[in-house]
Amino acid sequence: MALIHVPRPQNAWNPNRPINALLKSQIVHLHEAELKLPVMLQTGIYINAIKTESEAADYVRQVTEAIHAAHQAATAKRARSRVRRTGKVRTKKKRPSKPRRET
Amino acid sequence: MPPGLDNLRHIVVLMMENRSFDHMLGSLTAVNPQIDGVTNQLSNPDTTGALVKPQALAEFQGQLDPDPDHHFPAVDLQIFGGDTSPNRVANMQGFVKSYFNQQKDVGHSQKIMYYFAQNQLPVLTTLALEFAVFNRWFASIPGPTICNRAFAHYGTSFGRVDMNLLYVNEPFKSIYDRLINATPKHTSKLYYYDTASSTMEITNLLQNQPELFGTYQQFLDDCKTGNLPDYSFVEPNYSDHDSDNGEEVASDQHPDHNVQAGELFIASVYKAIKQNANLWQSTALLVVYDEHGGIYDHVAPPACTPDQFQASPNDTGTGMPFAFDRLGVRVPAILISPWIPKGTIVNRVFDHASIPGTVTKFLLGDYSPRSPRETSADVFIEPNAAPVDPARNLLSLDTMRTDCPDFDV
Repeated sequence: MALIHVPRPQNAWNPNRPINALLKSQIVHLHEAELKLPVMLQTGIYINAIKTESEAADYVRQVTEAIHAAHQAATAKRARSRVRRTGKVRTKKKRPSKPRRET
Repeated sequence: MPPGLDNLRHIVVLMMENRSFDHMLGSLTAVNPQIDGVTNQLSNPDTTGALVKPQALAEFQGQLDPDPDHHFPAVDLQIFGGDTSPNRVANMQGFVKSYFNQQKDVGHSQKIMYYFAQNQLPVLTTLALEFAVFNRWFASIPGPTICNRAFAHYGTSFGRVDMNLLYVNEPFKSIYDRLINATPKHTSKLYYYDTASSTMEITNLLQNQPELFGTYQQFLDDCKTGNLPDYSFVEPNYSDHDSDNGEEVASDQHPDHNVQAGELFIASVYKAIKQNANLWQSTALLVVYDEHGGIYDHVAPPACTPDQFQASPNDTGTGMPFAFDRLGVRVPAILISPWIPKGTIVNRVFDHASIPGTVTKFLLGDYSPRSPRETSADVFIEPNAAPVDPARNLLSLDTMRTDCPDFDV
């Protein structure tokens, strides 16, 4: 079968397009998730002021990356504490056994 | 066992946004009358009483602005034409009236009847003609995106008919949870386009199980390296934004996003699978739209098994409760595999609950609990367990096709 040509869109990119209802709801959903993040990972962005697709994308990116970062930090912390616990057992010094008294 | 099912290792679902069957594929009736698209007999009254026929005048962008209303009350008007009596019958006569409500402009309201000519959509129409096109795939709910997408992930919307966040997980697990917690374990991934587009609807999963997610670039890499999971769900780009790769154009086809950008995206997903010969022979790709986006379709949605939830009159906004006992408006759906005969047309009824339903039955077999809607939904891939009914098996060829199309993306 012959290769089928797919036309490319012309002048379609408009990051200043006002956000649609779908993006609005995505922002609200992510905002709920954001509020559960550690404060230092929160964006501080006032979501009611997000008006364009570019602004929406920036917010969505920051929250999505923060969610991943928060989970990665928790995973790393868990791994560290596991190492510490395991290390304790391994490095526990043996008490030198008392010399046997010859009877 | 049919070799197509024996070889099947991967199911991929690509869910696009907000276009009806007639709008995208209606032109194909002229090519094959068995495809239930647009004919000259169809019309909708405008607010002056004049009958408006569907016309192949759809444009890629700039025509459906404002975004046609597709919330529950508007879709109710579109389906029932404004009839609110107890014994009303769906007549699909309220689309122009509904769009008129947004701008009070009779001429503009008629554009809701426009559809694309075949040559405008070379990707979607070629795939529909080359593989299996579904004549009766409906949105799960006569309502908007979020609750409809929920059916694709959970087999239910947990009683929601709106865009609000779903607080879920019990008693019905997401398809991803079912797979990764199964014995033997299965692999599953949700690929959003990039972090600036992220995921739609399933923020609940993102914030609790971010390891389930990957980007579209990861999807492309996984296809190339043969590391695609057993089940993948792919999301398009939902916004125009900048990235390290330059200007990213929204590819979801949600009005008023460019439809050609979505065509490119669909072709890109198809090509990524097809380019890896091992993957191509072992993968089934479903391209489907989440809901009709307020755009005209002529097929009345049928009744279905009620879900165990009920939306209150307040929730529906129509003054009437909803028992999830009828489907939403029809959407485009195409199943792609080299084991499917060219020109297959499927007339059985499906909705998005068929997605977790099919994946569960194919990969896990019996599983419970599942929602009443999912349990009763038809499957588009037969479980690979004897006996397989040849009349229902879409991957029915004895030998793989070598004449499948390629796109220059």
